[in-house]
Amino acid sequence: MSEIEKYIAPDTVSDAVKALSSGGVTILAGGTDLTPQVDAGRRSHAPTLMNIRRVDDLSGITQNKGETRIGCLTTVSEIKQSDLAPAILRQAADHFASEQIRNAATLGGNICNASPAGDMINPLLVLDASVELASWKEGAMEVRREPISRFFTGPGKTIKHDNELLIAVVFDTPGPDFVGYFRKSGPRPALEISTVSVGIGGDYKDGAFHNVRVAFGAVGPTPLRGKATEAMLEGQALTAEVIDKAARAAQDDATPIDDIRATSWYRTHLIAVFTEELLNNVCQN
Amino acid sequence: MSEQVAFQHIEKTSLIGTRIKKPDAPAKAIGKTRYINDMVLPQMLYGKILHAGRTHAEIVSIDTSEAEKLPGVHLVITAQDTPDLKLGFVKDNAPLKDKVRCERDEVAAVAAESEAIAAEALKLIKVTYKDLPPVYTIEDGLKDGAPVIQDRFPDNKSLSFKFTHGDMAAAEQKSDIILDDVFNVHYVTHCCMGTSCAIADFDHNGKLTIYSQTQYPYNYKMDLAPALGIDPGDIRVIQPPTGGSFGAKLDVYPFEPVAAILAQKTGRPVKILFDREEEFINSPTRQPARMHLRTGCTSDGILTFRAADVMMDNGAYTSWGPTVPVIMMRTVSGHYRVPVVDFKGQAVYTNNAYAGSFRGYGNVQMTYATAQHMDMLAEKLAKDHNLDPIEFRLKNAQKSGEVTPQKSFLRECALAECLTTAAEASDYVNKLNKYTAERAQEGRYKRGIGLASSIHNAGGAKIHKSDGCGTILKMDDYARVTVITGASEIGQGIDAVIAQIVAEELGVPTEHVNLVNNDSDLGPWDVGVHASRTTFIAGNGARRAAIKAKKQILAAASKQANVSADELDLRGGFVVQDKDGAVVTKLDKMLRQMHFQPEPDVVMVSDYYEPNSEPEGRDHISDHSAAYSHAVHIAEVLVDTYTGEVKVEKVTMAQDVGRVINRMGLEAQMEGGLAFGLGFALSEEMIFEEGRLKNPSFRDYKLPTAPDMPDLDIHFIESDCAEGPYGAKGIAELPTIVVAPAIANAVYNATGIRFFNPPMTPEKVARAIWEKKQV
Amino acid sequence: MSVKTELNFTLNGRPVNIEVPVDMTVLNLLRENLDLKGTKYACGEGECGACTIEVDGTTINSCLMYAADLNGRTVMTIEGLGAGNKMHPMQQSFVDHGAVQCGFCMPGMIIQANYLVKQNPDLTREEMKRGLEGNICRCTGYTKVLDAVAAIVGAEG
Repeated sequence: MSEIEKYIAPDTVSDAVKALSSGGVTILAGGTDLTPQVDAGRRSHAPTLMNIRRVDDLSGITQNKGETRIGCLTTVSEIKQSDLAPAILRQAADHFASEQIRNAATLGGNICNASPAGDMINPLLVLDASVELASWKEGAMEVRREPISRFFTGPGKTIKHDNELLIAVVFDTPGPDFVGYFRKSGPRPALEISTVSVGIGGDYKDGAFHNVRVAFGAVGPTPLRGKATEAMLEGQALTAEVIDKAARAAQDDATPIDDIRATSWYRTHLIAVFTEELLNNVCQN
Repeated sequence: MSEQVAFQHIEKTSLIGTRIKKPDAPAKAIGKTRYINDMVLPQMLYGKILHAGRTHAEIVSIDTSEAEKLPGVHLVITAQDTPDLKLGFVKDNAPLKDKVRCERDEVAAVAAESEAIAAEALKLIKVTYKDLPPVYTIEDGLKDGAPVIQDRFPDNKSLSFKFTHGDMAAAEQKSDIILDDVFNVHYVTHCCMGTSCAIADFDHNGKLTIYSQTQYPYNYKMDLAPALGIDPGDIRVIQPPTGGSFGAKLDVYPFEPVAAILAQKTGRPVKILFDREEEFINSPTRQPARMHLRTGCTSDGILTFRAADVMMDNGAYTSWGPTVPVIMMRTVSGHYRVPVVDFKGQAVYTNNAYAGSFRGYGNVQMTYATAQHMDMLAEKLAKDHNLDPIEFRLKNAQKSGEVTPQKSFLRECALAECLTTAAEASDYVNKLNKYTAERAQEGRYKRGIGLASSIHNAGGAKIHKSDGCGTILKMDDYARVTVITGASEIGQGIDAVIAQIVAEELGVPTEHVNLVNNDSDLGPWDVGVHASRTTFIAGNGARRAAIKAKKQILAAASKQANVSADELDLRGGFVVQDKDGAVVTKLDKMLRQMHFQPEPDVVMVSDYYEPNSEPEGRDHISDHSAAYSHAVHIAEVLVDTYTGEVKVEKVTMAQDVGRVINRMGLEAQMEGGLAFGLGFALSEEMIFEEGRLKNPSFRDYKLPTAPDMPDLDIHFIESDCAEGPYGAKGIAELPTIVVAPAIANAVYNATGIRFFNPPMTPEKVARAIWEKKQV
Repeated sequence: MSVKTELNFTLNGRPVNIEVPVDMTVLNLLRENLDLKGTKYACGEGECGACTIEVDGTTINSCLMYAADLNGRTVMTIEGLGAGNKMHPMQQSFVDHGAVQCGFCMPGMIIQANYLVKQNPDLTREEMKRGLEGNICRCTGYTKVLDAVAAIVGAEG
């Protein structure tokens, strides 16, 4: 049992970030990952528990000058229901855990938990999103932006420093030609930890696919971009042959492991199946 | 009032077959019901058990001194503190162990003022182990010089079973087709939503009251008493509302005597409640089995023999799990007309988890094999001999009055009707042929249809000396009825059924029947809630008691009205003339008149109903149930041949229920029973590595959820069982037994691939389809 | 023991003032400190839904939420859905349709079903299935649960 010595619930971002600068803080948002991890002994509390759910301006989705910004406390349910969230993000939200968990789980929490199978991360990779990390420097709040594709360093590990708060996710609002799809495995739509997940997006115009981004979940130590698949698809017309080649390339991009949820064979197999399926969706869009 | 009713006529109506609401449902729906998990007694301590977490080891030493020093800890016990008690079917298990034989083994226990303190204390107990070479497979257990798990069983062989009938060599000679396959059925577990719990409380006279989830309160006393060095008569078993059982609580498991010993030694009530992970690791499983089945058949489609050789991983201890061949062999020998039978069953000790009883009890396993063999034969006979697959089954289906080789007397047999009803309702044969033709065509998604059937005991199963149930019934001066029954209510709905039956006989509203049960000091003896027996046995008992009460009332009324008792009836709270329903008097008034007279005539009757069945003998030749029943399921599936996902879209169920009593409760048992079979077939699997459970959570042990449920088309076949109450048979297990092989047969129809080793997970199905393509 | 914090929140229409350890879950607060045992523990990790309650009008798993975060919020548990022994129509529908067997999962199931209908009064059977996906029931096979909810939204069959 790790004991919490102090509990704070700041109501402004700057107070929250300031509190982080002294160190020894566990951040509580939706609690859907934190609670079971502490219970199972996989994680212990720092001396201070900071509940950030009282910070007003960390919630909600806004669009401004071609950029979409999602506050870290926005729940998965809010994303699922928002017209401002791109379809691919809403698809992932719709397939995220259960209704009760969607109502509590936050986007920031899902990202910072840094699970290779984190379902909201995959579409953010496809959207080429960045995260905003805020810290307290010399009496003021400083914010740096990092592409989400560089954010993860291993299971549960990120480049975020302990004194930083992930306050938002930002990405270029997809244009009219953007098409994106997300697919995860599992006999059930939701309450399934992804065996694998695949997201594909890009501008599909005049029969050709441009600015293609491909992301995979649960096939490596972090959620990852499928560089070989992207290269294979860039600028191509989505013929059956191209789709088939892309599915093979996707299998080369992934480095899955065996665990109790699936073997590496099955994950590799599904990567190809889903890649093909999503590219067919793009064609039919 | 009484003048008005004097002119009233009350028509004869019946409650049997109607929809009766469960009397305890409102309190449960508003959150008022206190389950055993919710109970807190004054001065109660919390017990926790230290589990070994290793699979085979000597316990070199245990140091409990640090744990004892922790504030709030009242007592720490180890094997040294517990009497030489043995639990289980062959008394090979102890509440606390002096040697570790499997992951869950209970090594020490703590009683403390809170669960948190008890948990902290467990961490302070220092145990030194010396690991021993483990045994994780049947093969390793049977090797010469294999490590011995239980000293009393040096060859690691525990229970064995044998039944033979007829001339096997001749039968083989006569067979044009012989199928020979091995089916491996996996580990699954009950996953009761309410985790395991016991609360033990001793009084100043040394009498134990144990609040328990047990399904067999009366024999439970006998099994528990030696643990505590007390007489079984000094135990009162109270069964508060519980979050499901499904067979999991049909034995005494170590946490129960541990709670009692802690209570006995501390003089305080002690509660032990598992968390979900403990529940997964420390609960019984369904008995896994490797079933080598051979089935013979002539080219005319007549079964010639069945031979089954069943090997079971016994795990480290013997609970009810490895006794399941008793039921397996009834299906091998008795489902369809099987002239020649050879059944062998052997359980082998290992350092794995051990199995208990579980809804379907061996028949889930065996029917997975027999129903696939029937399907394989049907396919061959259709192809090579142009025999219709339903016709093939009908040829072999018994008729009423036939007796199986084990002497199961199929007095009312509706197998043929179940087959034709389900086949017609689902358009089985046409779809089967259509999907077979479509199998070879291109396309990602394939449909399939599959039929399976089985037999199960439907009038209890006489595995103890008595399979009976006692009932005490009294009526008060206001015509309210109290029924004290030995039958246990664990959520299945006997409360509604007994109220309905008694109301039917006594002509009172069901709401006027109060049920008193789940307390061994109050109820008369009953063998327990299991084996699809309670409606049949306790229902008969309640009906017989109610008939006695009715006779008593009508005899008194006949004197008063000066008509023969045969000409009177009880309807709608009145004594009436049977022929036209003319009211004679109000029932409550009649009861008061009987009561308040010089020689009071108060309605207090009792009954002990013993079903007309024979004890299961060592030779396994006996009519061990008072009735047998059949069910046919036809599953329709959609297979994603790329991902391997199997979606069960529809199941048509036809089951011989004898007669419908509570239609709503019956449907509920069918639907819920099917869900168990669905999970077993497709998603549920305990994954063990070297004896350790790797998926002790709902995250990775996948129970069916609402989207997984297929549409159901349920057909009740009413065969009118002579022995059953109003003709009813027991029903609760067949829905679990039959659906998995129906799905397997449907998946075969869709893909051309047989799955001998469930569950048919997406990965397993995808892999098999992929491998088939590579060939 | 972890530091405590003072909470003021509304529980089933009544104000509550209580001090709790900051790492206590809402489930434990309800069950252990407030004697509201209708909300059930069955997994402790958000997988089964037996502990579902409404907080500020949306359903959550109370086993995953820290009680400290309840300050200023409005909570409804199964005990607050109806009024005393008078059942809410959803509870009545579950009883009438035979959806309650052992009943252990039902408080969470009913709270979730009620929430789904409030969100979308025209709920289809498929949407019900999706919305109840986080609630495990081992007795009923869900069929009668769906019938009970369907009766409320007038979408039977």
